[in-house]
Amino acid sequence: MKTLLTKKTLKFVGALFILSELAAIMTGPPGNPTHQFDGFKGSLTDPTSLLGLFTTSRWIVFFVYGILASLIVYLVRTKQNVVGKVLEAQRSVSANKTFRIIFFSALVILVVLLPTLIKDAFWQNAMVSQIAVFVLLALGLNVVTGFAGLLDLGFVAFYAVGAYATAWCTGALPLPALFGIHLNTFYAIPIAIALAMISGIILGIPTLRLRGDYLAIVTLGFGEIITVFANNLNGVTGGAMGTGQVPHFAIHVGPVNYVWGIPPVPYYYLTIVFVGIFMIAFSLLEHSRVGRAWTAIREDEVAAESVGINPLKYKVLAFAIGAASAGFAGVMTAAQSNYVTPATFTLGLSINVLVLVIFGGMGSITGVVFGAVVIQTITMYLIHNPPAGYQPQDLYIYIGALLVIMMIFRPAGMIPSRRRSRTHASAASGQE
Amino acid sequence: MENLFEVKDVSLRFGGVVSLSNVSMFQKRGEILAVIGPNGAGKTSLFNSLTGVYQPQEGTILFNPKDKPQLSIIGKKPFTVSDSGIARTFQASRMFNALTTFENVKIGAESHKGIGVLGAMFRGPATRRDEHTSDEHTWSLLEFVGLKDRANVIASALSYGERRRLEIARGLATNPEVLLLDEPAAGTNPSEKNDLAILIRKVRDEMGVSILLIEHDMKLVMSLAERLYVLNFGSVIAEGTPEQIRSNQNVIDAYLGTASEEETDNA
Repeated sequence: MKTLLTKKTLKFVGALFILSELAAIMTGPPGNPTHQFDGFKGSLTDPTSLLGLFTTSRWIVFFVYGILASLIVYLVRTKQNVVGKVLEAQRSVSANKTFRIIFFSALVILVVLLPTLIKDAFWQNAMVSQIAVFVLLALGLNVVTGFAGLLDLGFVAFYAVGAYATAWCTGALPLPALFGIHLNTFYAIPIAIALAMISGIILGIPTLRLRGDYLAIVTLGFGEIITVFANNLNGVTGGAMGTGQVPHFAIHVGPVNYVWGIPPVPYYYLTIVFVGIFMIAFSLLEHSRVGRAWTAIREDEVAAESVGINPLKYKVLAFAIGAASAGFAGVMTAAQSNYVTPATFTLGLSINVLVLVIFGGMGSITGVVFGAVVIQTITMYLIHNPPAGYQPQDLYIYIGALLVIMMIFRPAGMIPSRRRSRTHASAASGQE
Repeated sequence: MENLFEVKDVSLRFGGVVSLSNVSMFQKRGEILAVIGPNGAGKTSLFNSLTGVYQPQEGTILFNPKDKPQLSIIGKKPFTVSDSGIARTFQASRMFNALTTFENVKIGAESHKGIGVLGAMFRGPATRRDEHTSDEHTWSLLEFVGLKDRANVIASALSYGERRRLEIARGLATNPEVLLLDEPAAGTNPSEKNDLAILIRKVRDEMGVSILLIEHDMKLVMSLAERLYVLNFGSVIAEGTPEQIRSNQNVIDAYLGTASEEETDNA
């Protein structure tokens, strides 16, 4: 017993106590203007009464969770050998080529069969509009932030361009339709992607001379500009009310007549086909000359220039390619929800996509897809089945906590990219 | 025959600080030329001016590649300078740490070939052929500098001597006419220094690449260089063969010191 009462354990319990109280306050009831501290009282222990410890139990829940979590970490750390062996076995198995093929085929079959396994209407809709679309956005931002190392806080702008371009082509904007006719939504895909890419180039050429924080601020501004435009240019975008009716996708070729309608399942298949295409294209790109040049610029721009790489050209390229997948996500959103409103394209959404990329593993294609699926599923779950005491505004407390924990234990992301984790490893060992 | 480099009256200032003042020099084709001088004399500034990293306010720098038109370097970007046939290494090695040795060199080998996004996405036969030639080129360079068995090692895991070799290979991969080496022997041990001297001479003799060298190690410089410039406070104070430089009183006063001092330096 005496060994447990060391200074270190006391410190640990104290820290855990403070953290649980903090968590209790943050997730506790809100105050009101006349009794500002009601929220605190409802969450905190009353310091004047020991009994209070037990009458308000919110913090105790967090405290117990904390103890459990640290016990698990402790066991994992001390039983290093066992865990190490398991991890090693897992690594050697996943390095095995046939295993990988089987694993990924199983995954693909699962993805294809998913709509037949999940019949719930909420989830079927969420799989398209909240998960698959966000996978597309995360894939696009991963090119910009993960491959080329450019922090873009206004990525939502390209998503908006894609969505409004779809509305424009199909004649849903107050503006006369592009080409004068109401195009089939399918034809909107290349136009929307092209317009998103062009806006990436237009934004990129002047701003990509900036580095790091400055670039982040400028892109943030660009994202806001697009939202303000969408809100205020009533004659062009329909303003805050949004656009008119964007038609569903439809095929009318000879005897084939098919219309994607209200049920989300056809949209699900259409989107995952494109997710697959984008994943393959981006992965080929990563392992090509272009991907190596991006890594070189990210690692050391001066050295990259000295071997003949034009950084501006490659950065603009990253912006344009990232914008392509965001533009396509915009088409899907516009077509599936049938209208486009500026309320969709908020700064919060840009940050949200960045969180998916960071959580999954910057620069890792499988990582960001995993990150997008996991975080968006958690978000949707909390919305659909809110646990007791959960309030919608608490969402980012949980996502934030998840991100903090991930940063401590897997700083390069859940499925880190090989190249990125090397940078992390050499930074951790103090090398340049 | 024209000279490879013609530097005329180049002055470089940062605000009020004069880094180079009226520097004039030239390099003959195929020459191993060295620039020496005390710390802060402007040697690296000169290199940065020659590669487009710094833009001197006055003077001209002309570069005469063999098969390409003459290039006036001031005002050009580093990647344009690299395209025209000037390669360099850095004082503190700057590698792409997340990539392997092989990939580091390959970046140099393919950086002049245009972007080829569509080729990368569809892997057509032209792209594959291109990749193949880059790979071959990379392998031959790795063999040349003696890093073939370290090809798949992550660059940050290399030793100092190996990093220098990697930088040289990466520079050579761009098919340069001249290689600028900024203190290649810094941080290497005596045996690595020896190997490096052999490698540098081999680069010139076998690949026909001229060498411009900044180095503090006098033994290495005097054994390698055919001609030297001595910089002090941003100006050229002497020019000549190693023998001439060794006996030049100005240089002894400013940099080399007397024999006894040199011995204590080396001790």
